Amino acid sequence: MTPQTRRRVEFILDNLVWFMLIFVLAVFSAFIPNYFQPAIFANIIEASSVLGVMSIGLALVILAGQMDLSVESVAALAAMGVGILFCSAGIGLGIKLTPAWLAVPASLLAALGIGAIIGLFNGFLIVKAKMNAFIITLAAYIWVRGLVVAISGGRSAQDLDPAIRFFGIQRILGLPLTAWIAILCFVAFSFMMMKTPFGRHLKMIGGNETATHRAGIRVSRNLMIAFVLAGATAGLAGWLLTVRTSGATANLGVGMLFNAFAAVVIGGVSLKGGVGSLPGVYAGVLLLSSINTAINLMGLPANVTQVIHGLLVLAAVMLDTFKQTIRRSLA
Amino acid sequence: MHRRTFMAVMGALAASAALKPAMAEGKGTVYYMVPTLLDEFQTGSVSALEMFLKQVGYEMKTLNADNKTEMQQSQMNDTIALKPAAIILAAVDFNALKPSIEAARAAGIPVVEFDRQITSTPSDFTSVAGTVEIGYIAAEETQKLLTAKHGAVKGKVLQVLGDPGDPYTLDIQKGFEEKMKAFPDVTIISKPAMQWEASNAGTIVADAVVANPDIDLIFSHAAHLSVAAVASLEAAGKKPGDVMMMSSNGAPVGLDLIRKGWLNVEVEQPLYAQAAAVAMFMDKIVNKQEIKAGEYDVLGLKSTVTIEAWGPNIKIPGAAITKDNIDNPSFWGNLKPPTDTIKAVE
Repeated sequence: MTPQTRRRVEFILDNLVWFMLIFVLAVFSAFIPNYFQPAIFANIIEASSVLGVMSIGLALVILAGQMDLSVESVAALAAMGVGILFCSAGIGLGIKLTPAWLAVPASLLAALGIGAIIGLFNGFLIVKAKMNAFIITLAAYIWVRGLVVAISGGRSAQDLDPAIRFFGIQRILGLPLTAWIAILCFVAFSFMMMKTPFGRHLKMIGGNETATHRAGIRVSRNLMIAFVLAGATAGLAGWLLTVRTSGATANLGVGMLFNAFAAVVIGGVSLKGGVGSLPGVYAGVLLLSSINTAINLMGLPANVTQVIHGLLVLAAVMLDTFKQTIRRSLA
Repeated sequence: MHRRTFMAVMGALAASAALKPAMAEGKGTVYYMVPTLLDEFQTGSVSALEMFLKQVGYEMKTLNADNKTEMQQSQMNDTIALKPAAIILAAVDFNALKPSIEAARAAGIPVVEFDRQITSTPSDFTSVAGTVEIGYIAAEETQKLLTAKHGAVKGKVLQVLGDPGDPYTLDIQKGFEEKMKAFPDVTIISKPAMQWEASNAGTIVADAVVANPDIDLIFSHAAHLSVAAVASLEAAGKKPGDVMMMSSNGAPVGLDLIRKGWLNVEVEQPLYAQAAAVAMFMDKIVNKQEIKAGEYDVLGLKSTVTIEAWGPNIKIPGAAITKDNIDNPSFWGNLKPPTDTIKAVE
């Protein structure tokens, strides 16, 4: 194989998830009535915003060779926190700030704060107390959701403050601001992972924690930051969820953890850590969202959609495995 | 030192023994197996049952199955060992709980089905609004709304189901589609909101209104799904009334959406009456006395007890809530529990 051909193959493999996305969009556009239109593509990007932001945090800890199963529940708690504070109906307290736009930074701060505190707590138990990340975050997945039910009493908050809801309605270039927030997050975190020492160190830790420690890099500190960032991004995902649904219910976000994992894996992040990139994760999120939209538009019986969803995700992951096989044969 | 400890332990045991008769002063403890606490109807049912059962002398304890069938089965087994006065079951899965119901009854513990009717095995009492019947009422309201818009029963309806693994939503769908079958000019598009999660419903509605801009009515199987549907419609630039909307269960959020002009109809499940009926008949259930068929007044609602193959069954009529009758305090979504004390059926 000539070096030029090899480079081309490697380029395709590095960006396979994007090619898969383009292929899937082309097939759906060709065969599903009403799929090929700007409003549907805008819906795909908009529907990806919550899952996308949640997947960023999850990808960070996975890249660092850790695990965070709590992101879904953390997002739900942040959503419920914002809902209770800034919704005016149901269990919402309807807090009004003057000027009205102050509700935006205040609610963001609340959501990010809730997420960061839980991330810090998880990080402390995992990094400092050397407890197992899977168990600790699984416990958090359960107790944080329990806290959502406890503080809400199973009831919901709705009618979000218009200043916050503005982000779900106002559009720029056909996309709601929530979608732009997710895109900005991907750009910022991708830059952080690729261009800053912290990002590079995180991947090194995921690749070989002992070697990274011996190289003089502060592993514990970086891992703590990764958990706090995972919590904070989950909090932001919760904020977006509240904006998107104009309120919060006790079961908000249920099932998102598995989609986030699927997106991260489809996006090429190795569950063993150290391998993967955030743009790939975004492509994974968009791919899942495209599939969801396709299912929504197809006239399929309701009870088979979950099977189709699962099989399509499986196909995407199998393709990714195929990619790894080719890559190994090239090495 | 040892003697002091021994005396303290004995003292504590004596005190607890003295407390027991006081705790058992009522008619006994009833366990309520609630399927989930992630939904306002279910959380409302806990407080309503607790309130009405207390009025007739029973203490109630609640176990939440978190929508997990196997967890509810384990809870049933554990509760049977406690020998309570009765078990009230709102089954996660209508069929999977059959062996547990049979085991409880074999152990002499009466089982009451609440809200979710199980017909495959006998129970001591069933109190339901009828999930299929909710579908019927929704169909009648759909016919009225489409006629008002088009002059005839025709048009396009988006039906947003709950989780497709939940028999509750499938029964509503069954009832709704059964009644709508008579109108071939109505196209029904049915999509499930996985795990009853609101943002899933929002995505379905966002996609559907783009692909089918001619949708006349959105029927969501729970009011909280309508909240997300409204958010998606709002994001798509729609105003209240642009698309007709309806949902079921009568939760406070649904009533709120009617007041804001988004929702046309909310099909109510008579939560208070369903819970009150259980309490009214609890003495008869616990004492294994005969429950007679006939009409009974349950919180002012004319309800019918029939003796079915699966045991005595009280059916309480659901109601369509619109802006004309929304302030009726008997709707549980108004969160005004009845102030009158109920009386046990003699």
